[in-house]
Amino acid sequence: MNGFKVLQVKQSVFADNDRRAEELRQELKKQRVFLLNLMSSPGAGKTTLLSRTIEALDGKLKVGVMEADIDSDVDARTIESFGAKVIQLHTGGMCHLDADMTRQGLEALGTGDVELAVLENVGNLVCPAEFDTGAVKNAMILSVPEGDDKPLKYPLIFSVCDVVLINKTDVLPYFDFDMEKCAANIRMRNPKAKIIPVCARTGEGIDAWVGWLCDEVTKWKKP
Amino acid sequence: MHELGVLNALVHTVEGIVREEGLTEVEKIVIEVGELSGIVPRYIEQCYPAAVYKTFMEKTALELVVVPGIVKCRECGRVFNAAANDLYCLDCGGQNLEILEGNDMIVKEIVCR
Ligand SMILES: Nc1nc2c(ncn2[C@@H]2O[C@H](COP(=O)(O)OP(=O)(O)OP(=O)(O)O)[C@@H](O)[C@H]2O)c(=O)[nH]1
Ligand SMILES: [Mg+2]
Ligand SMILES: [Zn+2]
Ligand SMILES: [Zn+2]
Repeated sequence: MNGFKVLQVKQSVFADNDRRAEELRQELKKQRVFLLNLMSSPGAGKTTLLSRTIEALDGKLKVGVMEADIDSDVDARTIESFGAKVIQLHTGGMCHLDADMTRQGLEALGTGDVELAVLENVGNLVCPAEFDTGAVKNAMILSVPEGDDKPLKYPLIFSVCDVVLINKTDVLPYFDFDMEKCAANIRMRNPKAKIIPVCARTGEGIDAWVGWLCDEVTKWKKP
Repeated sequence: MHELGVLNALVHTVEGIVREEGLTEVEKIVIEVGELSGIVPRYIEQCYPAAVYKTFMEKTALELVVVPGIVKCRECGRVFNAAANDLYCLDCGGQNLEILEGNDMIVKEIVCR
């Protein structure tokens, strides 16, 4: 057949991105920069929770934030008003960020004086889960109004998360949201995920979350 | 735009293989798409020409193979096709399922020279 051969590949479609993400993680380890990838549906509270987090850290860690809003700088300005270094990432309409876009973002942010870099990923529960960004840890926010069955409908994102923050606990009285059932649903998809109920509005649970984050940053910075 | 992003990742992965193997021409790629991968084969086919436009894969044919989404119920042990059953166990109605197959998207073969 005019010189064609069949190469058995058996590689993930995402293999190239996975490789680039791993390279980025190794470089971040050397630079002692901790990168957190923060994911959720639109409006679950990423920006509000991040503002609270920066406030609660109270200067203990130098924070840099990358905002991946599709087409506005509203979130970036909010974060800036809380005193963190911030840049706006241009996703060009893409519904997720990959390792290369994250690398470019980190370069634009400048990580020389940053200990904790946070990527506010595009609001979407599907593709951010498939693309490793090179982050050290993946966090996701599930907000109470979205329902306790989300882990059953979007299994992949829950399976890649190290920590799931259940936000907007202040509105629990108004929704049929069963915290126990939600935790059980998350554990079915990912027995290792840490689950922390929080409220970005009242500040409930923020200490537990910030405690987890500081521990992880400390571990990462050890040689 | 999700499928376009996935295809973009695919082009990069194939590009890496082409470089490593020193290939000169890729006639066809065979991709396995799992029923539980969240990726819709029909959309992949529709987006493909746009994704490979002006890349080295512009003339590369695409063959998709759909892999059934097979799961095992952790409650009762039954093994079944979950995509056809909306992620509920046929026997006990449980939703605590272990995915055995059909969770990902894989470059299976490259026909090349
Ligand atoms: N009641 C209540 N509202 C909250 C809480 N956290 C955030 N919100 C509100 O939820 C809305 C969306 O919050 P954002 O922080 O902008 O959410 P986001 O995930 O950054 O949204 P996008 O970037 O647009 O995807 C805002 O009106 C917030 O005030 C909370 O704990 N309780
Ligand atoms: Mg936001
Ligand atoms: Zn996407
Ligand atoms: Zn069963």
